[in-house]
Amino acid sequence: MIAIIDYGSGNIQAIKNIYKKLKIECKFVSEPEQLNDVDKIILPGVGAFDEAMTQLNESGLREILDLMVLEQKTPVLGVCVGMQIMAISSDEGKLDGLGWFDAQVKLFDENIINHKPKLPHMGWNEIQPKSEHSILTSIDFEKGYYFLHSYYFECHDEKDILATTHYGDIFHCAVNKGNIFGFQFHPEKSHSNGINLFKNFAEL
Amino acid sequence: MLRSRVIPCLLVHNKGLVKTVKFKAPKYVGDPINAVKIFNEKEVDELIVLDIDATINGVEPNYQMIEHLANESRMPLCYGGGVKTPEQAQKIIKLGVEKVALSSEAIYNPKLLIDIANIIGRQSVVVVLDIKKTLFGSYDIYSHNGKKKVKKNLFEFVAELETIGIGELVINSIDNDGVMKGYDLALIKKVREHVSVPLTVLGGAGSADDILNLIDEYKIIGASAGSLFVFKGVYKAVLINYLPEFALQKIRQISKT
Amino acid sequence: MYNICTNCVMDTTDSKITFDDKGICDHCNTYFNDILPKWNPEGLDDKALYNLADKIKKDGQGKDFDCIMGMSGGIDSSYLLYLAVEKLGLRPLVFHVDAGWNSQEAVHNIERMVDGLGLDLYTEVINWEEMKDLQLSFFKSGVSHIDTPQDHSFFATMYKFSAKHGVKNILTGGNYSTECIRNPLEWMYFQSDSRQLMDIHSKFGTSPLNNYPVTNILWHKVYLPYIKGIKVIRPLDYMIYNKEDATKLLEEKFGYQRYPQKHFESRFTRFYEGYWLPEKFGFDTRKVQYSSLIVTGQMTRAEALEKLKSPAYDPDTIDEDFEYIANKLGISIDELRGYFNAPNKTYKDYKNQQSLYDFGAKVLRAIGLEKGGKR
Repeated sequence: MIAIIDYGSGNIQAIKNIYKKLKIECKFVSEPEQLNDVDKIILPGVGAFDEAMTQLNESGLREILDLMVLEQKTPVLGVCVGMQIMAISSDEGKLDGLGWFDAQVKLFDENIINHKPKLPHMGWNEIQPKSEHSILTSIDFEKGYYFLHSYYFECHDEKDILATTHYGDIFHCAVNKGNIFGFQFHPEKSHSNGINLFKNFAEL
Repeated sequence: MLRSRVIPCLLVHNKGLVKTVKFKAPKYVGDPINAVKIFNEKEVDELIVLDIDATINGVEPNYQMIEHLANESRMPLCYGGGVKTPEQAQKIIKLGVEKVALSSEAIYNPKLLIDIANIIGRQSVVVVLDIKKTLFGSYDIYSHNGKKKVKKNLFEFVAELETIGIGELVINSIDNDGVMKGYDLALIKKVREHVSVPLTVLGGAGSADDILNLIDEYKIIGASAGSLFVFKGVYKAVLINYLPEFALQKIRQISKT
Repeated sequence: MYNICTNCVMDTTDSKITFDDKGICDHCNTYFNDILPKWNPEGLDDKALYNLADKIKKDGQGKDFDCIMGMSGGIDSSYLLYLAVEKLGLRPLVFHVDAGWNSQEAVHNIERMVDGLGLDLYTEVINWEEMKDLQLSFFKSGVSHIDTPQDHSFFATMYKFSAKHGVKNILTGGNYSTECIRNPLEWMYFQSDSRQLMDIHSKFGTSPLNNYPVTNILWHKVYLPYIKGIKVIRPLDYMIYNKEDATKLLEEKFGYQRYPQKHFESRFTRFYEGYWLPEKFGFDTRKVQYSSLIVTGQMTRAEALEKLKSPAYDPDTIDEDFEYIANKLGISIDELRGYFNAPNKTYKDYKNQQSLYDFGAKVLRAIGLEKGGKR
């Protein structure tokens, strides 16, 4: 059973629609008890870093998520801000992140973006895989995914980089450490590439 | 590299899809759900759906329709029409919609944009401005489906919107609406000079070339169109379509330069 | 007691079927005895086809187009379009009726054909709110021919357009090669029977039909052809038409997208023929389609029987389709299920003009103008 964490942030309905179409069981989870029969977790998120962290901290799910992800090694997939909060902290906010990755979230450097508009990074962009992983099976990298963000994720450990994208400069758009995955883009809004990513995650 | 987005724009009137010419004479074009489903299967970049009745009639957005449309969309969806409060905006977002568009309310009550941005995130707030050319070659903003002239200077107002902070600005040319003879390039140029927020243009696209030329010129811009993606040929036969493959490839090439 | 034809795959789900002493059904015998001698596909020569084309060209001289062609995006109408333009040199106006259920493949195929052949397209969009109300009326009535609202609107729109613009020639992709065996009357009745349509709507509809196009059998089978000279022509009958060859040609030449089954251009028809008709009534239209292909040598009986072993609908997508249909019609899944489980009715339970159709068929057969046909 896949859990889509409903802590008040992110397009949870769109993710559910995709799994419904794939006929893969999933459910919204907002209480710790609901995680009993769950073997995979999706952590969505949009908006501001501090807002998302606050909502997660107040949701009552923080402890059990740390337990499931860090100790029980439950596969988890973070989307957009859901990925960003997996870092240690963000330039955007004051709060600490989950610290699941040794990473920092930073603001794009507008000086190296040579067109208008500069921010946010919005639209379809290609991704370049940095390592092989079954989660990237059947993905059309040139077609890429839909991005919508002004801050980006920077891994301190190169081994954690799963894929990169270019905007101003190259940044880490997909990260992976063991059971933990984070994607800066919106697979739930990226047609077949997104559907395949969610499918691959379910099949891990 | 980031590609420009090509965005079909659908107008909903009396529960059905319509197409107008210069904001008049709505022609019935069919069922919104089927249209969105087909666009989804064609894997379009993004979609805008505007309910042109809601504000005029002073009614709530049609949440049931929005939910059905969101169900069919595996690409970002922007909904506009009748949104007056942050609660309504949030309700719409929770149905699976990415962006909420405001027009009249943004014009007469721009502070609302801040309140809405606080709840759904600035990136999801879109402002649509309907523009008509004046006799002297300058531009006026209109509201209420092109019926009410707004006493604000267009370029001052868009600068104000940038200061307030919005996710995207959609400039809709009333004069070119449904005419299919090209975008109002002069208008676009002026707006682009005055603001740096993400810009999408609507009104006038008549061919793939109109879109390609626009993207070639501005590199990163939203190219939206209604008639182009809904009609075909001299008889304006209703047939949902999108850009041909060669045009999509060209857009990828442009993004790599 | 169940029985199946030894030659084709029609069986006793057609309750009026009869078998001769060799176990061959009356559909096959009608084909061998009535249709084949008059149609004679082996003896067809191009001359008749080209003569037909010349007449059409003459009728259309000086006009923007010389005929109209109803185009669903399906293989028959698409192939006919190709034939009409590239082989016969005709200038058709491509006519499409959008009833709100177009599949993406249909829209794609129409676009490819129209662009590939450099033709003009005209579409008529049926008012969706009215279509929805009418379709729901048919669901509520319990009859088996619930695709009548779509079909009726297709004919009516085409005829009205022709009458209005004085177009003498309507081309359709209807053909003996793949349709010589027709759906039994009890399965689909006559979609053009406006008396039936109006009666069902008056009993179950909730809003008036102001824009929905209605035709009637006397108008389009008698008045239009005999008084106004508007004829419906089936060019595919004048040639050996092999469906598989035709499909391959369109795929190669135009980038045509194949459908999994006949009539899948419309999402509704796919649901209707794939699920509703077989599961609720036991009427599987594949038996009719395959039987036509069997008697014309395009499919073997063994192949047909093999295919009929699996359900007509796709078990992987049926739940999704069911939900889509319910959503689109603005009803709950439970309500749709309710109609599915309700008692089965027939066309006889509502007002109809069947006697008129019977009379007309007798006349046409007597004067040799109709071969075979529905029963």
